[in-house]
Amino acid sequence: MKEKTLIQKFLGTWNTKTIVGVAIGAALFGVLMNYGSIRVFTNTSLTTAMIVPVIVGALFGPLPAAAAAGIGNVIADLIGGWGFWFDWSIGNAVLGLFVGALPLYGAYIEDGIFELKHMIIYAVVVIVGTALAFGLVTPFFTYLWYGGELTITLYQGVVGSVSNIIVLLVAGIPVLKVLAARNAKASNLRRE
Amino acid sequence: MSRKPVIEFKDFNFRYKTQTQATLHDISLTIYEGEKVLLLGASGCGKSTLAHCVNGLIPFSFNGEMTGSLKVAGEETRELSLFQMSGHIGTVLQDSDAQFVGLSVGEDIAYALENDNMPRSEMLPKVYNSAKIVDMHRFLEQVPYNLSGGQKQRVALAGIMHDDVKLLLFDEPLAALDPMMGNFAIELIDRIHQDYGKTILIIEHRFEDVLHRSVDRVVLMDDGRIVADTTPQELLLGSMLWEYSIREPLYISALKQAGCSLQMAKDITDVRTMDLSPYEQQVRTDFEQTAVLEPKEPGEVLIEAENVGFGYEQGRPVLSDVNFKIRRGERIAVVGKNGAGKSTIAKLLCGIIRPTEGQIRFKGEDYTALSIREIGEQLGYVMQNPNQMIVKDMISEEIGLGLSLRDRPQDEIEKSVGEVLKMCNLYEMRHWPVSALSYGQKKRVTIASILVMNPDVIILDEPTAGQDYRVYTEIMTFLEQLNAEFGKTILFITHDMHLAIEYTDRALVFSEGTCIGDDAVFKILSDEDIIQRAHLKETSVFTLAKRLGLPADEFTEHFIKAERRKRSA
Amino acid sequence: MNNGFIINLIPGETFLHKLSGTTKVRLFFVLIIYLIMSFDIRLILPVFVAGLLGLFSLKTDVAALRYIIVFVVAMNILNIVLYYLANPHLGELYFGQETLWFQFTDHYIVTYEEVWFLMSRLLKMLATFLVSLVFILSITPSEMAAGLYNCGIPYKICTVVELAFRYIPDIYRDYQNIKVSMQARGVELDSRKAGVIKRLKQTILILIPLIITSFDRVGDISNAMDLRGFGKGRKRSYYSEHEATADDQKVKIVYLLIAVFDVLYIAAKIIYKIPEVWYPW
Ligand SMILES: Nc1ncnc2c1ncn2[C@@H]1O[C@H](COP(=O)(O)OP(=O)(O)OP(=O)(O)O)[C@@H](O)[C@H]1O
Ligand SMILES: Nc1ncnc2c1ncn2[C@@H]1O[C@H](COP(=O)(O)OP(=O)(O)OP(=O)(O)O)[C@@H](O)[C@H]1O
Ligand SMILES: [Mg+2]
Ligand SMILES: [Mg+2]
Repeated sequence: MKEKTLIQKFLGTWNTKTIVGVAIGAALFGVLMNYGSIRVFTNTSLTTAMIVPVIVGALFGPLPAAAAAGIGNVIADLIGGWGFWFDWSIGNAVLGLFVGALPLYGAYIEDGIFELKHMIIYAVVVIVGTALAFGLVTPFFTYLWYGGELTITLYQGVVGSVSNIIVLLVAGIPVLKVLAARNAKASNLRRE
Repeated sequence: MSRKPVIEFKDFNFRYKTQTQATLHDISLTIYEGEKVLLLGASGCGKSTLAHCVNGLIPFSFNGEMTGSLKVAGEETRELSLFQMSGHIGTVLQDSDAQFVGLSVGEDIAYALENDNMPRSEMLPKVYNSAKIVDMHRFLEQVPYNLSGGQKQRVALAGIMHDDVKLLLFDEPLAALDPMMGNFAIELIDRIHQDYGKTILIIEHRFEDVLHRSVDRVVLMDDGRIVADTTPQELLLGSMLWEYSIREPLYISALKQAGCSLQMAKDITDVRTMDLSPYEQQVRTDFEQTAVLEPKEPGEVLIEAENVGFGYEQGRPVLSDVNFKIRRGERIAVVGKNGAGKSTIAKLLCGIIRPTEGQIRFKGEDYTALSIREIGEQLGYVMQNPNQMIVKDMISEEIGLGLSLRDRPQDEIEKSVGEVLKMCNLYEMRHWPVSALSYGQKKRVTIASILVMNPDVIILDEPTAGQDYRVYTEIMTFLEQLNAEFGKTILFITHDMHLAIEYTDRALVFSEGTCIGDDAVFKILSDEDIIQRAHLKETSVFTLAKRLGLPADEFTEHFIKAERRKRSA
Repeated sequence: MNNGFIINLIPGETFLHKLSGTTKVRLFFVLIIYLIMSFDIRLILPVFVAGLLGLFSLKTDVAALRYIIVFVVAMNILNIVLYYLANPHLGELYFGQETLWFQFTDHYIVTYEEVWFLMSRLLKMLATFLVSLVFILSITPSEMAAGLYNCGIPYKICTVVELAFRYIPDIYRDYQNIKVSMQARGVELDSRKAGVIKRLKQTILILIPLIITSFDRVGDISNAMDLRGFGKGRKRSYYSEHEATADDQKVKIVYLLIAVFDVLYIAAKIIYKIPEVWYPW
């Protein structure tokens, strides 16, 4: 099988499998967003949903990951009933683009490839991506659409970013490690 | 007259791109119009792969390397697109949940038409008619979550009945159905074969259940090759079934057990109609001369349910007034139709959900005080799908998890993990990654990861569902060991009556959310009323015994005991 | 069973429920744009009222919604309070004028402009929430897919939405089952017994099997879809999308008018530099 170009890897191949993958991703995102969050204080909580685009990205590429995150966020709003806040959906989509980029730097979870260097790149990408998405993109749209006090909007962005980075690193890396190990082709096994 | 071939394999080979060896080897097989063919074969032998070749998923969505020729309706499949193929072949897949893609029955039946961009006005009558064929036309508004596995499957069937497909392909249609549903499915398939003259190809490894209605031909596969292409009759007479680890129909085993020689027999494919006169004498004498074995003495009561009631939603009780006792060392089958409340009672025992009425007692103590965690040390629950339980990538880590989560000291963990590994004869594989394990081995790992917390009672939900006879035997003999050697009490939630009579002493029968039977399996299965109400199925041994005028329960007992003796020997 | 999701899978019986998916989706979009572009109480108030009427017309039991409504309202009030604390001179910022009403400290003064601005924003947010809530309560996922499709969105995207909804309850049940079986094995999710990071670490043990089993489905589902001709043509029809009724026609006029207004207003805003927030005095 010939090596895909970077662009192909980025776009992913939009066949039925990918579409279903994105849909399942979105569904999982919706479920985790509404039920899989971890209480910190009464009304702030870490959501583990952001792991999903990472996986979708690993399996299908960054753009599908973005789609899963964006649509997943809309769907989370739909089943939860918290109105639509497209400024956040867009932010999530952008973030999905970043965290879902694993194949671009050679971390192929499906083939069990996820080494230290990938972890480091992943960590950096997560931090940069989150900062951009929730520190810039979302506040921008919030400000543009709903007006308001810039520092507060930014401040909220920062809070969102921090909690996301925590989840994406503390939970994300172990999950990726295990999934990679699960997919690794076992070689020369001996009964001992 | 010359029959028209629908499918023609000629020296056909196929290799998945990701595999080093071919999965299908020089297949030559012709299926003619109007035939009803059963494709038998152990798990992993290539049945589904062959099916994918027939319906066009190979090469459309699985790429690999094909050689030889495969013609569908006279045309080389290489020249056809998947969409052209699906005009000839309608497929009902194994997983009735995964293939239900619509959000309602109507939508799912309409799915193919939607993709054809058919105007809704034309769509509605077509959908209604297809639904009527499978008798689902009263459920068009229903959402999938309220449908039984059997209903979902009928919807899937309706979804491919629109355009006049020539051949209907069923990949393991019985996998997820309770015994009676299974019979309905087979009867429905037979009706469609008769009334609509469709050619039928059924893939299964549950030979006896398929034979509930007659089939014209049986094709037996092993390791990617066709090893037999013959009539059911021939297959039953021969010894091939055992060789290729397909389960022989029970009544056949019973007859062979009794020392009858089936060679000269006339049609023996249906226990209800076959001529038994040649065997009657032999079976009787064999039955009379064996001594009845003494029953096990009961152990102390471990778990006791008293008037237990529960409902997930207010005012919708799922269980009510359930009573039973579980004693040490028992092997109990929990049976009943889909939605009867079997899994719910299991969740109740684990403390995942708690009774809204009545009381559950562990060793005489009311368990409301115990946390899920603490209960987990007395009673373990093994889910149906191993992938739902396995977390770590190393076997020993996975098994140790329960203890490390309880912050036990490392040396203690290693010690008990070692013991459990030996118990489950996984010790040699302790350093293997989970990815290297077969289904049966994975199952054993999940059981081991429960055993490590040393519970007295283990509950297994559908431990062998969808598995072929080889894996089934592997899992069940292992569990039998746990019970015999380590005195573990085991509850099996199962639809498989073979399993119940072979491996358990007692059955709890659930129906409409209450326990309608609690007795020795042989007795339960000879009770017409319970069989009806709980969607069970009379096993063919019973039918045999009845037709010979022998006491059904004792005869079955006698047969099973002999089987067990044979196994242990 | 619907696992207490807000969106319902079986179409309801009221006026809004009975509209076609296309109508609902289009109406929703023009209203959202309307609300996003306008920061003018004169424009927002009518939609807000309409939203309330819509909500009641649906005859859903508000009890189920109480929690959500309270939560969202509370969050938005908290939000504007924060705004005030961060900058008591937003009025100045937006209207270039300040009229003192009263003051706490000499930094935290309360001006009419500030109050006006914060109220406008609160109303805007609540109106947006109301509109989306009514939309969610009145539409079924399949109608939404059909509606989106008829708004020119490629059906492959619409399918994602539809499929996601199909499998959410299944995944949700898997999630519950995996969670409890892990708890039985000793995972501790009780906030009183374990700290945040510890709980996060333990959640991983639930996530892994959940992710694996969820994505295991993909192959079977896509096979089932391929076999029934998904992606055959460029166009697709929808079983769930009934023909436009008289009511649909009426509503069509409404949303077309709003659409036109949206365009004109945005244009006007750009050309004539209409102030961002309307202030009467
Ligand atoms: N997509 C695939 N890629 C690579 N190998 C595959 C693929 N699907 C199946 N195989 C391999 O082909 C062999 C036959 O698989 P197949 O599913 O056809 O068996 P089966 O008879 O249907 O088994 P079961 O009764 O469990 O369904 C197996 O060894 C399997 O590992
Ligand atoms: N989490 C849940 N929420 C609401 N209802 C549920 C839930 N789980 C099960 N039910 C309902 O409770 C009833 C009993 O379900 P249960 O799974 O116990 O049946 P079962 O005997 O295990 O069926 P099967 O043989 O298909 O496994 C069913 O009507 C089911 O719809
Ligand atoms: Mg198969
Ligand atoms: Mg069950």
